[in-house]
Amino acid sequence: MSLFRRSTPRGARARAIIAIGTAAVAIVAMAGCATSNSGSTKTTLSFYSWDAAATMKPVFAEFEKENPNITLQVTYGTPVQGYISTLQTHLNSGTAQDVFIITAENKQQIMDGGFAKPLNSEPFISNLAPAAKATYTKAGKVYGAAISSWGGGILYNKDLLAKVGFSAPPKTWDDFIDLCLKLKAAGITPFYEPADGISVSLAALVGLENAKLGGKMDAEIFSGKTTFAKTWTGALTQWNKLFTSGAESRSVAGLTGDQVTAEFEKGNVAMIGTGSWALGGIQTAAPSLKLDFMAIPGASSSYWAGAVSPGYAINAKTSHLAAAEKFVTFLQSTKGVAAYQKATASITTTKDFTPTLDPALSTMAAAVRNGEFYLPQVSWPKNSAALNTEATAQLQELIQGKTTPAAVAADLDTKLKTLGG
Amino acid sequence: MLRTPTAWTRCKGLSLLATRPTWTRLRESAVSNIFLVPIAVVFVVLYAAPMGQSFFYSFTNFDGYSNDVKNVGFLNYQNIFSDPTMLAALGYTVFYALTTTVLITVFAIPLALIINRKFFGRNFVRAIFFFPAIPSVAILGLIWGFILNPLGDGVLNTVIHALTGLGPIPWLADTTLAQLSTVAVAVWTLTGWHAILYLAYLQSIPSDFLEAVRIDGANRWQTFRYIILPLLTPAMTVSWLLLMTNGLKVYDLPITLTKGGPGYATTTITQALIQDGIAQAQVGQASALAVLFLLIVGIVVLAQLGLSRMLEGRYS
Repeated sequence: MSLFRRSTPRGARARAIIAIGTAAVAIVAMAGCATSNSGSTKTTLSFYSWDAAATMKPVFAEFEKENPNITLQVTYGTPVQGYISTLQTHLNSGTAQDVFIITAENKQQIMDGGFAKPLNSEPFISNLAPAAKATYTKAGKVYGAAISSWGGGILYNKDLLAKVGFSAPPKTWDDFIDLCLKLKAAGITPFYEPADGISVSLAALVGLENAKLGGKMDAEIFSGKTTFAKTWTGALTQWNKLFTSGAESRSVAGLTGDQVTAEFEKGNVAMIGTGSWALGGIQTAAPSLKLDFMAIPGASSSYWAGAVSPGYAINAKTSHLAAAEKFVTFLQSTKGVAAYQKATASITTTKDFTPTLDPALSTMAAAVRNGEFYLPQVSWPKNSAALNTEATAQLQELIQGKTTPAAVAADLDTKLKTLGG
Repeated sequence: MLRTPTAWTRCKGLSLLATRPTWTRLRESAVSNIFLVPIAVVFVVLYAAPMGQSFFYSFTNFDGYSNDVKNVGFLNYQNIFSDPTMLAALGYTVFYALTTTVLITVFAIPLALIINRKFFGRNFVRAIFFFPAIPSVAILGLIWGFILNPLGDGVLNTVIHALTGLGPIPWLADTTLAQLSTVAVAVWTLTGWHAILYLAYLQSIPSDFLEAVRIDGANRWQTFRYIILPLLTPAMTVSWLLLMTNGLKVYDLPITLTKGGPGYATTTITQALIQDGIAQAQVGQASALAVLFLLIVGIVVLAQLGLSRMLEGRYS
């Protein structure tokens, strides 16, 4: 038995414990009061950021300078899966931040579940690009405010292409295959595209089909008016020529976007299929490369892959609605967009701000700002994640030569059917 | 007859226990049970409650967002058996668990025998073989992705080309090669760890046994077959249990090496669970898969434990 125990009677010890406990509770309560008192004129607005801290801090600083009564409490997510799953948990438990991000991957659940406040009455809504508005609209209600888009095409190394007398981008897909074969004959690896998703070249080829149908292709597929077999087989057959002709190695079936980019940075490949978001990183890693983008050539015209970037959404249950609206309004303002564009070098699409872009993006900038691009997984009105997983797996089989374009398209129809359309 | 001190003490303890009043015994057992409360709470909160929740959700259309769920009966279970993706994931997971268990056992036991011998630098060699089990599997996956890069400048392809002149081999871009590559990396990663486990059991074999068989004229193979291997069966039980359960739950290595591709060649059950539950917001469907998976793992582990116990019984 310890000395302390012997010298302290049981009752006295109990009293001491109660006293200490009471004091602790009182201190915590007073601390809480102090926070709430000091914050009576200040609102703390929570935001779940998609972009990294280094990118967003200047934007937040600008907002807080303009709105000294609002303090931002920012949590940075890890896109895509980490962000989606964390937000899913928060929304399900009613603890989501005041402002969060709506993306292609979660827009269906957020819009259907009424988790975001419709933004139609907000003053900035007219400043959004039509494509941005359409992406996050359901039944006439706009649930997300996106300020930028990205384009995807063929990024090429000018010096390597010059070795085979390249002067202008090919006008048709067959011309592109010819260019690849010419490069291959000259001992230069012509073209790589990662197979860890639907490639930008295939997306653009399908996009041409969508443009032919007046942009209603996916709505018609999902309503049963047409099928993947009818609309995708042509584009898949064209795309498959890359592998049957030997223009692209079948080894890309096991390559990720990072591996393809690394090969391009090392000058091991003349052209890669990628998006505008990759340009900054490549220029930093390989500053000596002379780069440019070209659109994906189809049977007779060219098109870009691409999509509207994630948008800002206001939590339908926020208790700080006025502050949330102020914040999202700021993010759409000239000042907010300028700060974001400076930090990200992205192609912003708000009507009252024209971004200063890298010259390599000049070929795609107008098309991207006009919304002339296509990405299946964003365009599909529902079940996009499940269809994207299925399409990726089927395309990897196609690259290996283990299936046919018609079978891939038919498989997507089957998958859609099992998902309930 | 003289009693040994241990037996005497034990008898004395038992008699004291028998004469102690009931309330004292109850109080003592209550006190010792209090120490079980934290682990019981952890078990209920982190395992039992989520398991019960998963079981409930497996009969609903819960999407992870809205709590307004509908009972769909056995539809989610039905979907699993009609979905070729799920069946492919199940097939690869079982293939991975079985092949890694067999191969690691085949390599780890001889390795343990070698590093049990006395030679210069033995501790260094032991550390080298144990090392691959230390870094995160995700990091190892990234490093092996670099080594097995299917392009011509992948590390392994460069070496093969330099030695044989062969063109690039699509290690991670071909269905069969990707499956074999993931298994090979797992075997490389875990063989050393399991060899150390066998080594611990090897070192507990009394030297008298080995000396006796040597005097009886047994050769090395006979010593291994009739003395060492039977005495290693408890170690094999532990090793197989760990390998099978971890093999069936595998996620990190295939996802970092191949992301489950090409096609669904290296998609695992755990990956399918995460894809369904999070990316595709089909928590009900993912829960049904989790429940089925739990049952399968339970059956496999029980069968494997039964087999191990039978072997132990035969050799002990």
